[in-house]
Formats: sequence, structure tokens, C-alpha cells
Amino acid sequence: MKIETAELTKKYRLGTSEITAVDKVTFQIAETKFIAIIGPSGSGKSTLLNLIGLNDYPTSGKIFIDGVDALMLSNSERRRTRLFSMGFVFQTFNLIPTLNALENVELPMALAGKPKREQQQKAMKLLEAVGLEKRFLHRPKELSMGEMQRVTIARALANNPQIIIADEPTGELDSKTSKEIIALLFDINRKEKTTVIVATHDEKIVGLADETYVIRDGKLKLEE
Amino acid sequence: MRTALCIIGVALATTFVIAVGATTMRYTTVIREMNVLFSGQILVVHENAIVIQAIPIGGSMLRQNRTETALHNVSGVDKTIPILFVTPIEIGGIIRPVPINFSMGIPVNDWQLILGSIPLKGNIGHFPTSESSYEAVIGASLADQYNWTVGKEITVKGFKLNVTGVLDTKLAILNRCIVMPLTIAQGIYVYPKSVNMICVKPMQGYSQEELADTIEQQVPEVNALTEEERNDMIQPVLTQVETWNMGIQTIVFLMSLILVMTVTAMSVTERRRDFATLDAIGAPLSYIFRIVIFETVLIGVLGAILGIVFGSLAALVLASLYTNIPLTMFFPTFYEIIPPFFMFQIFLAVVFVCCLGGIIPAINATRMRIAEVLRAEY
Repeated sequence: MKIETAELTKKYRLGTSEITAVDKVTFQIAETKFIAIIGPSGSGKSTLLNLIGLNDYPTSGKIFIDGVDALMLSNSERRRTRLFSMGFVFQTFNLIPTLNALENVELPMALAGKPKREQQQKAMKLLEAVGLEKRFLHRPKELSMGEMQRVTIARALANNPQIIIADEPTGELDSKTSKEIIALLFDINRKEKTTVIVATHDEKIVGLADETYVIRDGKLKLEE
Repeated sequence: MRTALCIIGVALATTFVIAVGATTMRYTTVIREMNVLFSGQILVVHENAIVIQAIPIGGSMLRQNRTETALHNVSGVDKTIPILFVTPIEIGGIIRPVPINFSMGIPVNDWQLILGSIPLKGNIGHFPTSESSYEAVIGASLADQYNWTVGKEITVKGFKLNVTGVLDTKLAILNRCIVMPLTIAQGIYVYPKSVNMICVKPMQGYSQEELADTIEQQVPEVNALTEEERNDMIQPVLTQVETWNMGIQTIVFLMSLILVMTVTAMSVTERRRDFATLDAIGAPLSYIFRIVIFETVLIGVLGAILGIVFGSLAALVLASLYTNIPLTMFFPTFYEIIPPFFMFQIFLAVVFVCCLGGIIPAINATRMRIAEVLRAEY
């Protein structure tokens, strides 16, 4: 999946003032790359990822997904793109608390209409791949932060996405677990040829990324 | 916890609706079926009497012979049957707020005309044979309650009557009735040669309406009521009772609707991150909508089931309290007091109301702004 943006801008109104969270960002995400977007808190990382992940609409500018203008997609087409082509990893995991690890991973496959047996087999395989083979039936509150993030990564991979969008995936984790999660994402990128785009202020990721962008006050710049 | 309280709230509302609804229905059914006894006949009562369907309440008595003679002089009168109807009869010295026990005196030769083809339970016994015999047939409910059986001697106002049969009928009024020869009833209740109603059978070819008008013109101090007039007299009262019942049900359902809507809205707000996550990973809106509706339907189903169980018990307890009939006696007639169709209607109504209560929160759940909700968590 190839994603391009052109003059992408997102502005928020905060009281009487207007904040430009993403300011005329034009860049390309090449397929199978591991891309890091770094910047301090409030620099616009999450907003940019929400726009790329079709979870938000830009104030102006364009996003092209495989050459198609995302603004021309209907709501249901945007959902289908998120469901079948994208995987999301959130800083706060956002697992469904009433479902166990296995069910959380099965969820995207259930939404995609895959047979129950297939869902179960694939979810087990994915949880094994992220090292949670003994935690299938544990609910999120019974898991450690690192384990929860692993479940989130397994969930993101459920429908074989072409791109994984990870917003501060190590933000809540200690440094040892952070390293493991980064290694896991890097592994997925290399083995599965899945594009991974990570927003972070974790400098450790920078060294691993194929491309690193710096975002500051909404402006994006490729770090040479 | 909040959901559990919501289920209890819905269950309480359903309990109230079932208990009040079943009680109201029972009353209106009993009143409506009173006319079955005198179907197709004209009832002549004193002009002062208040008549509820076929039952004269208060008013002066009719002199039996004089009135019957006057009625036979009216052209179109085929037969007259004098009846003494007494309510309430006190058993055990207890008078209930509603009349539940009745006594009826009918001339022995006219049993068939009034009671029709109602058989005696188990075909045991016989109807009283002579106007001067202290015999009576009794309603099944009275028989069950007081263990009165055929051959047993019962005492009514100090007079001993021999039970010669138990009526086998579903008519509530006859189930609670002691039916005896007219002369005996007149003696027991001290109304010599007097009755409070005379049933008039029109000759063939005469309409009830015309004959009733003629009777009122020719016989002094009487009201002659056709079956239609009797129904018309009670209909506004029954309509009013049913309207009140409907009004109460509407208010209770409205309160349930608000309860379910509020609780579900709070639940959706609390779980907005979950819904936003579902939205973010590409769940169709219909899926998110269905989750919320499913929850409210579940609240409705559980609340309705609990409410129907407790409401049915409450209806039975109420029936027992206002009639002084032991609770256990209502168990065999459970489905007559709370008809299954009524339960089913209320079940559907409760589930529908809860489903309705979930619509706005469900719409809100589908309108989460993913970026804002997920960002707000940081």
C-alpha cells in the first residue's frame, strides 16, 4: 500500500484561537518500509497518524492511498480500508476490556466476516508469534502493559494489513519492554513485508527505521 | 452494577404493569361476563336500583306477584322469572371491599332458563327439587375454599342448607355463588314475596328494545333493561377503567424508557474509548449500533422475565387480598388471572421499550469522533 499526502493540513479550534496541528505536510510512505516519525509531545504526530489512518479528516490537502484520493472514499470504504489494509497499535492499547486476549485478536477477523474456526486458529498463531501462548484466555486487566501491547500488535496483524500504524507504541512501557516491542514491530516489517509507520519520541526507534521524519509545530521534515 | 439496577428498575415497572393490568382485566372480564347469564333477556328492576350489568345494587324491591302479573299483561312477554340476588353474603363475618360472594334465589322450575346447560361437577348431585326444600347448589370456588361437598350441610344466616351439587362453570360470578330455591332465599334474607329483579323472556317476533319500552310504559316504577342497554350502562365505566390502566402502563413504560436511555447513555459515554477503538479498527456502524441495542434488549428480556414472574405473583397476592380467598386456590386458575397472551404482550412491550431506549445512545456510539476520543485518553 502506497500512501502519499499533499499539503495535508489539520487545524483545531481551541476556544477563540486556532491551532495548526499538521501544517502542509507532503510526503510519501513507500511500501514495506519502517518509518519513524519523531517529535515532542503536541508536535502533531498523533494527528498526522490519524489522518493517514483515515480516522480523521484534514482541514485541507489530500491523502492518496494507492493513488486514490481518500477524501473521495465513502465512510464505509474508509472503514473497509482500515479493516482490511491497516493495523493500528495505540499507546494506551485500547483493548476491549470484556474480551480475553484471544477474542481481542479475533475481533478484526470477525468484523471481516471470517469463519470462527479460522479466526481462532489465526488468533492463536498470532498470539504465539508475539510470545503470549500462555495468555490466550486472560482479559486485558490480567495482563502486564507489555503483554497488552503485544495483544494489540497481534490484533493489528489479524487481517494481514499492508500497513501498521503505531502511535507511541512504547509510550506506556518500561525501557526493557519498549525494546522488545520495537524489535517485534521491526521483525514484522522485515518478515511480513508490512509497512510500519511509528510515531514516537523514543530515540531507540530512530536507529532501526528506514526513514525518519521529524515533526515540529505540525511541519514534517525528513531527517537526513 | 448500574446495569443490574436498570434491570431491577425495568423488572419493577413490569411487575407493576402486570399486577395492575391483570387485576383490572380480571375485574372487567368478570363484569362483562355477568351478562352472559341473562343473554337475550330483559331484566326488570325497580326504577331506583343501580344495575351493574345484570346485578342490581340497592334500590327498592319489587313486589313479586304484583309485578309479575303486570308484566304478563304486557303484550310480547313470554315468561317471567323472579330472582332474588343478594350481595355480599358474609361468610365468617368478613365483608370484603368488593363483593365476592353472592346468593341467588331462583324458582326451581326455572333453573334451566337461568343457568342454561351448566352441569354439576362430576355429574354428582342434583339441582334443588322443591321450592320448599332447604337445598342449594354452590360455586366451585366456594366449595373448594370451604371444603363444601355434595351432601354437606352449610349454614347461611342461621339457616341450614343441604349442598346438592357443585356448579361446573368458569363464570366467576357463579363460582362464588350459592344458588337456592327462590322461596328459601326470600325466607333466609327476609324479603318475603319480594325480588330485586325479574328476568323477562320476549315472545318470538318481539324485539327486546320495543318490549322493554312497552314494559316501562305499562308497569309502574320499573326499569326494563335490554342486554344492549345493560352493556351500554357499564361500558363507559369499563372504558374509563381500561383507559386509566392504559395511562398507568404508558407512564410506567415511559419511565422505563427514560431509565434505560439514561443508563445506556452513561454506559456508552463510559465506554466511548471501546466504541472509538471499534470504529478505528474498521467495525461497521451497524455492528456498533447492534452492540448497544443488543445490550438494551438484554436488559428488556431479563427485566421482563423477572417482572412477569413477580408481577404474576403480585397479581395473585392482590386477588387473594381483596377477595380473602386463599392464595393457593388461585394457582389452578393462574392462566385465567394472568392470561399467557397478556404476559406475551407485556414481554414484547417491555423489550420494545428497552430497545427504543437504546436507539439514541446507540446512535451516539456510532458517532464517536475517533481522533478526539482516543486523543482525550492521553
